[in-house]
Amino acid sequence: MGILSEFISSYFLWRDPMIVGAVSGAVCGFLGVYVVLRRIIFVSAALTQISNFGVALSFYLEGLGMGVLSSFIHPFILSTVLTSLAAVFFAMKRDFSRISQEGVIGFGFLIASGAVIILGDRITKGAHDIANILFGNAVVVDPGDVYIIPAVALAALVIHIVFYKDFVFVSFDEETARLFKYPVRTLNTAVLITIAVVVAVATRALGALPVFSFLALPPLTSLFLTERLKLVFALSVIIGALSAALGYFFSFVLSIPTGASMAVSASAFFILGLLWREVKVRT
Amino acid sequence: MPNLIELEDVTIGYENKGMLGPLNLAIEKGQFWGILGPNGSGKSTLLKTILGLLPAVSGSVKTSDGTVFGYVPQSEKFDPLFPVSVGEIVTMGRYSRVRPGKNLTVSDMDYITSSLEKTGILHLKDRTFRSLSGGEKQRALLARAIAGEPDVLVLDEPTASVDVKGETQIMELVQGVKSDDGLTVLMVSHFINTVTEYADRIILIDKDSGYFKAGGKSEVLTDHNLSTFFGLGAGSGII
Repeated sequence: MGILSEFISSYFLWRDPMIVGAVSGAVCGFLGVYVVLRRIIFVSAALTQISNFGVALSFYLEGLGMGVLSSFIHPFILSTVLTSLAAVFFAMKRDFSRISQEGVIGFGFLIASGAVIILGDRITKGAHDIANILFGNAVVVDPGDVYIIPAVALAALVIHIVFYKDFVFVSFDEETARLFKYPVRTLNTAVLITIAVVVAVATRALGALPVFSFLALPPLTSLFLTERLKLVFALSVIIGALSAALGYFFSFVLSIPTGASMAVSASAFFILGLLWREVKVRT
Repeated sequence: MPNLIELEDVTIGYENKGMLGPLNLAIEKGQFWGILGPNGSGKSTLLKTILGLLPAVSGSVKTSDGTVFGYVPQSEKFDPLFPVSVGEIVTMGRYSRVRPGKNLTVSDMDYITSSLEKTGILHLKDRTFRSLSGGEKQRALLARAIAGEPDVLVLDEPTASVDVKGETQIMELVQGVKSDDGLTVLMVSHFINTVTEYADRIILIDKDSGYFKAGGKSEVLTDHNLSTFFGLGAGSGII
């Protein structure tokens, strides 16, 4: 009880990161349903690493002293642009000279991961930030993130509500969508760009590990719990938000890294969901 | 254009590599075409080229303006991970008439309900698609195809995963909606008996031997062709 009351009384410390974490968890949980159902979990891993690369590159270029260009190399802008470009590339290009799309996504993940480490080694001023982005440590967030992340999340959700039937259709049966003259490529690109932009802003605030966790684990957990697609989306939003909030809570009271705590919380929901499913199947 | 679909000197294939051609074909409104051939003969490639899902390597595929297709793919192609209900799947068939970003109207919902009723699966509308039997899945996909009020009904191996009783039921349903709505039907099948019983026109295709013949049943299913492509002796009684 003492821990809880201490936590509540210090709300001014955790209010902003809690908002940013819960909103990121919710929106990533929602978008992650597409990631899981399209079987492109590795795309979200690659996008989080490319977002990291954008942030690291921004720090590196800033260290070089780019003067008036500094506003263009802001971590937020650079990571969003690079992640969106990667999403467009993954959406547009399916055939890579006998190499599967998955192989090229793996290439994107690995080169971005390697580049982040190399750039991190070259950055002195922002080395601590690079470590936080790689492993996630959203103890505190930039004040602007309290507005930017909910705004981006709201924009993504509005797009997904308006085009819900179309995004589900092209995800489930692309061939028939093409037969119906649906703009399949545009819709696929729109799905990936919304994921990319959310990944870029959420990764900068929380780190790659929790963002990747929120994109994969809440949707997988929801698929254990229900066979209704709309309910999968709703549960995934709730589990994503709860994973972030509980992760932050345990990080605060146990003094453990925040990003890792959020990922473990999401994993705990996954294990509970799996157990629930196993019990249901056997009874 | 008097014909609903016309293929003029079309070569079918993948990635600009010709597989078979040049092919010429004219499909008129109200005809029932069966596409027959051995495994890997190019049946699906031909079907996808006709539908515009695959570009022709050369030649032209012309479809009459405003033609709406209803498509019954093989049920195995759908990912069982997707938790969609029968009602949701059938609703997708109506999207041929509802553009992206637009919502379905009450009239659209009436067509969807009517399609579920016609195929006898209204009671299954809340079940998940993946939990259905082979025959129920084919009925659901047929309901989806007719929900869009198509001009052309396209079926890819519609009876591949059903038993004999289910096969008859599916084909009677297809015949029923064809007659009721005056549809044109294109059906790919391995089952020569099914095709010859219901289709009035046959396409026999085999890319390996470069064979393509389209026309009336007696014209295409000659003793020579039945023997060559299906190993059936003369007087097999297929026709």
